[in-house]
Amino acid sequence: MPRAQLNLEKPTPLELEQLRWIIITSENAEEVFQKLEEQGIDPVIFGLTDKDFELLAKNFARIRNQLKITNDLLDKYKEYYETDVKENNTKK
Amino acid sequence: MFGSLKIAMVAILITGIAGAGMYVMKLRSDNAILKVNQIKLESAVADQKQLIENQQKDFEEILEANKKMNVLINALQKDLDDLDKRFNKGKRDVGKLAIEKTKLIEKIINKGSVNAKRCIEIASGAELTEKEKNATKKSEINPECPSIANPSYIAY
Repeated sequence: MPRAQLNLEKPTPLELEQLRWIIITSENAEEVFQKLEEQGIDPVIFGLTDKDFELLAKNFARIRNQLKITNDLLDKYKEYYETDVKENNTKK
Repeated sequence: MFGSLKIAMVAILITGIAGAGMYVMKLRSDNAILKVNQIKLESAVADQKQLIENQQKDFEEILEANKKMNVLINALQKDLDDLDKRFNKGKRDVGKLAIEKTKLIEKIINKGSVNAKRCIEIASGAELTEKEKNATKKSEINPECPSIANPSYIAY
């Protein structure tokens, strides 16, 4: 007798918050902090150098790629082991 | 004497007939067993044939799935390489550019951030919008991850 299908729900896709990048140089630092204060935002910045920004961007791209691969892998397993999933996908 | 011979002949005849009858019955029984075996054999051959066909189908599916995964992995690697080029193309120095054209680079980075955010949403399983699906021009695509965000786009 075949085992009952696992049929776990796929996780809900992410909906991420948008963040704002501010570039501070020695030239505009004062202006930037002043604007923050005017907008009622604490005049403090958590900073990254240009190199670290590049690394952060690449790290995120790697995480994204891994997420995509893992998700697709899961789909492939479902298609392979759950015939009705494959049939539904074929019909789409 | 003649009577005994007659009796013996009759006995032999009866024994012969009985033997022949039993032999025929045995043949019939063997035949029935053979028929059953034949049916079992045919059924086993059909099962084996079906099994081989299924295995072949499974094998093809496995190959196809592997092929698709490899295509995806290569496409994602290309997106990553493109990102590296955006930072380091030629003698490009993003830090220097940001000092010289602060507002412009800030705008570019924030746009890139919006695109990168969308890429993660798509990678986590979000449905593509019609605009994303139909994008074919460079100006229409999500340059952070065209391989997953813009299926109609062919790099040129």
